Amino acid sequence: MINLEFIINTLSLGSLYAMLALGLVIVYGILRLVNFAYGELVMVGGYTMYLATFYTPLPWLGVAVLAVLAAMLTSLFTELVAFRPVREKSLTAMLITSFAVSTLLQNGALLIISPRARAVTLPQIFQTSVMIAGTSVPWRNILIILTCILTLTVLTLLLRRTVLGIALRAAADNFTMTRMLGVPANTVISTAFAISGIMAGIVSIFWIGRSASVTPTIGAAPLLVAFVATVIGGMRSLTGAVVGGFVYAIIISLLGVILPPGLVEFREAFMFAIVIIILVFRPEGLIRSKSSEERVG
Amino acid sequence: MNLAARLKPFNTPLTLVAVVLVIALLTQLVGISLLTRIVTVMFVSIILVLGLQLYMGNSGILNFAHIGFMGIGAYTAVLFSMTPEAKVLTNSDLYLFLVPLHLPFLPSLLIGGLVAALFAALISYPLMRLSDAAAVITSFALLVIIHVVLLHWDRVSNGPRTLFGVDNYTTLWVSVVFAVITIFVVYFFKESRIGLRLRASRDDRYAAASIGINMVVMRWLAFIVSAFIAGVGGGLWAHFITSFTPYSFYLNETFVVLAMLVIGGPYSVSGAVVGTLLVTATREVLRGIENQVNIMQIFPEGFFGFTEVVLAVVLILILIYRPTGIMGNRELRWPRRRNQAAPAETTEPEG
Amino acid sequence: MLELNDVHARYGAIIALRGVSIYISKGELVALLGVNGAGKSTTLGCIAGVLRPWQGGITFEGASILGKSPEQIARLGISLVPEGRDIFPSLNVEENLRLGAFTRSEKSEYRRNLGEVYDLFPVLKERLQQPGGTLSGGEQQQLAIARALMSSPRLLMLDEPSLGLAPALVDQIFELIARLHQRGVTILLVEQNVDRSLEIVDRAYLMNTGLIESHGSAQQLRAHTDIEGIYMGMQGQTKK
Repeated sequence: MINLEFIINTLSLGSLYAMLALGLVIVYGILRLVNFAYGELVMVGGYTMYLATFYTPLPWLGVAVLAVLAAMLTSLFTELVAFRPVREKSLTAMLITSFAVSTLLQNGALLIISPRARAVTLPQIFQTSVMIAGTSVPWRNILIILTCILTLTVLTLLLRRTVLGIALRAAADNFTMTRMLGVPANTVISTAFAISGIMAGIVSIFWIGRSASVTPTIGAAPLLVAFVATVIGGMRSLTGAVVGGFVYAIIISLLGVILPPGLVEFREAFMFAIVIIILVFRPEGLIRSKSSEERVG
Repeated sequence: MNLAARLKPFNTPLTLVAVVLVIALLTQLVGISLLTRIVTVMFVSIILVLGLQLYMGNSGILNFAHIGFMGIGAYTAVLFSMTPEAKVLTNSDLYLFLVPLHLPFLPSLLIGGLVAALFAALISYPLMRLSDAAAVITSFALLVIIHVVLLHWDRVSNGPRTLFGVDNYTTLWVSVVFAVITIFVVYFFKESRIGLRLRASRDDRYAAASIGINMVVMRWLAFIVSAFIAGVGGGLWAHFITSFTPYSFYLNETFVVLAMLVIGGPYSVSGAVVGTLLVTATREVLRGIENQVNIMQIFPEGFFGFTEVVLAVVLILILIYRPTGIMGNRELRWPRRRNQAAPAETTEPEG
Repeated sequence: MLELNDVHARYGAIIALRGVSIYISKGELVALLGVNGAGKSTTLGCIAGVLRPWQGGITFEGASILGKSPEQIARLGISLVPEGRDIFPSLNVEENLRLGAFTRSEKSEYRRNLGEVYDLFPVLKERLQQPGGTLSGGEQQQLAIARALMSSPRLLMLDEPSLGLAPALVDQIFELIARLHQRGVTILLVEQNVDRSLEIVDRAYLMNTGLIESHGSAQQLRAHTDIEGIYMGMQGQTKK
C-alpha cells in the first residue's frame, strides 16, 4: 500500500542509504577503492554506543557524538596503518587489504567484547511516534530525514566553500593533477577517510536504533547497501551516491510490496543482479557524470 | 634421454606432489584421527586455493565469487550423492524431481563441478570485458547473489537450515588424489599457451587490449576452469564435513582462501600450495591456543576471533612488505646437482 | 635555473629517455620539439615529479629535485600544464583557479594574480561559475594556463598547448606565450608545431627517440637541421 506511511518510511530509508553511500563514494572517487571495511565502521559506532551507555554517565547526545568520533578515528587509523602503505602498490592490493581490515575489525570486536549481541540503550525518542495527517510516524524516521538534510548541507558547504573541499572534489576528478598543484595527497585522502568515518558513525546511530543491539557482524548489511546504492548512482559522483541511496530505498521498498511471497526474500539477489547489469552496460550509473570507468575488451 | 631430463618440465608439479604425498603418508602413519581430519581439510583447501590461483594468478584480477562456486558445487554434488531417503530427511521441502536422483560419489562430484562451471560460463562472459575495479565489484556482487539464492531457495538448499546427512566419502586419500590431479591441471594451465598469453595481458594491459577479443575469451576460459575446480572442491568439502549451511560459503571462507593464496604467493602454483600449508598450520596452532584459553576460562566472555585477527594482520603485513607473497614469482623446484648449470628461472615482473 | 643531466627514464619495460641533458635560464623561453613519442612529455613528467628517472640528475636553482613528489615540486614554484589540459571538469572556472593558487597563501597575491589572469583571458572572467567540463577546447586550454599562472610559477611548463585547437586559437595561444615571455615568466614549452614555436623561442632542443638530437637558437636550428624532413619521417638529415 503506497500511503503516507510508506512514503515516509521510504524517505527515511533513502536518507539512511544516501548517507551510507556518500561515505563509501567519497573514498572511492579518489582512490578507486571499494573499502570493504566500511561496514565495520558502522559496527564500531554501535559498539561505542554500547560501551558509552554502559560505562559512562553521558547523555544520549554525548553517546551519539562519541560514536561518530570513534568511527571517524577508526577510519583514519585504518588509512594510516593499512591503506597508506599499500596505496602505491596496486588497486588489487588495496582491495585485499580492505577485506583484511574488515575481518580484523570484525574479529577484533569478537575478541575484545563478545560474540554475543550487546544491547544498546536507546533514547526515549526512538520509541515514540507522532501523528501526521492521520498516520503514526515514528520520531526516528523523522530524525533520520532531518539528519540527512543537515549532513548533506554541511557537507555541501564544506565541499564548495572551503579550499580543502574543492581539493577533494578535484582529487576525485584527477588525483595526479591535484597533487601537481601542490595539494598534499595524504591530506586529501585522510580527509576523505575522515568524512567516510563520520558518515558511517551517523548512520550507526540510526541503524542500531532499529534493532537496539550490536553484534560483530552488523557491518555486513550496511556495506552491501552502500555498495548497491553507490553503483546505482555512479561510483564517481557524490550527488550520484545520494540519488542512488534513494533509488535503492525506493526499489527495495517497492519490491517488498510488489513481489509475491515466494520471491520477496530474493530482493537482495535482484538488487545485486541489477548492480551487475549496471556495471556491464552503464558503468557510469544512472547519473550523468563527467567520467566513466575504462573498459578493456 | 635419461629419466631426469624427461622429468624436467614436470619438476615443479612433481615436487609439490612429493610434498603432498609425504605429508599424507606421515599423517597416515601417525594415525591420530584429529590430525587426519586437519590434513584432509587442508588438501581440500589446497584444491580450492589452486582453483583461485588459476584465475587470479594468470589474469591478475581479484575474484570474490570463487567460494560462491564452491557452494554451488557442494549443494549440487550432495543432491546427487545422497540417497532419496536421506535427502527427504534433511529437507522435506525438496523439489520432487530432485528426490530420486542418485549417483555414485565421483559422478556427483563432477556434476557439481560442471554445474558451477556452467553457471560461471553463462554469467561471466560480459564481465570479462570490465576494467579491474568493475570486475572485482561484479565478482563480489556474484558472491552475494549466490549466497542469497542459496539462503532462500529452500526447496533446493534447505535455506538457512543445516543440510545434514551427507555421506563421508572424502577420506584422506580421496583428497590426496584430487589434490594431486589439481596440482597438475593448474600447473599445466599456467604453462600452456592460454596461461602465457593471459599473463602477458596481465602485465601490459594496453598492449594486450590490441589483441582484443582473444583476451576476453581466454579470461573467460580461465574463469570457467577455476569455477569447475571450486565446484569439485566444494563437493569434496561437503562430503567431508557432512553437514553445512549457506554461511559456509560466504565471506569468512572467502577471506581464508584469499589469505592462503596471497600469503603463499598468488603468482605461482607453489604459492597456492605453500600458502595453504602455512596458513593451515598457523590456524591450527592459534585455534589450539584459543581453545586452551577458553578451557581455562581466562576471559568470562570467551576467547574467540583470535585466529582470524592474527591471520588478518599477517595478510596485511604481507601486502605491505612482500606483496608477491612468500614464493614471490617463483615456483618450487627440486634442487639440482651442483655441477649442472642451473636453469634460467622464469621470473616475471612484479605484479 | 633548471638543469637536467643525462636523465634516463622508462615506463615499465619501455625506455623513454636515454640520457637527456637540457638547461633553461631565468626568463628564457625554451622549446622541446620533436615528433610523437620522442620523449618530450616524459621529460616534463620527470621534472614535475610524476615519473622518477632511474639515472641522471635534475636540479632546480642549484638544488636537486630528483625524487621529489609532485606536491613538493609544485611548492618550489614549478608548474606543469599537461597535455590534454587536465582541468577539473566538475569544478567551475573560479574553483579551478582557486585551486591553482593552492601553494600561495597571501590574499593580495591571489587577487593580483586573478586580476592578471582576467586581463590575459577575458573569456574566463565571463564564465566564472561554469563547470570546467562544459568549456570549449580553447577555453579549457586558457583555463589550464591561467590556473598554472595563479601559483606565480618560477618555471612554467606547457605540454602541447596548441594540440587539438583551431588555427585561430593556435595563434592566440602562441601570442599568449610570447606575451608571458615578455612579462618575464620562464617557460619550457613542449610542442609539435615547430614553425610557430621557433618564431617565439630563445632556444630550442630537438628530441628524437629519447635523446636530444640538436640544440640551438631558432636561426641555428633552421639553418642546420632539416626540420620539415624530421617531421616527414626522415630523420637527422642535414640541409643541402
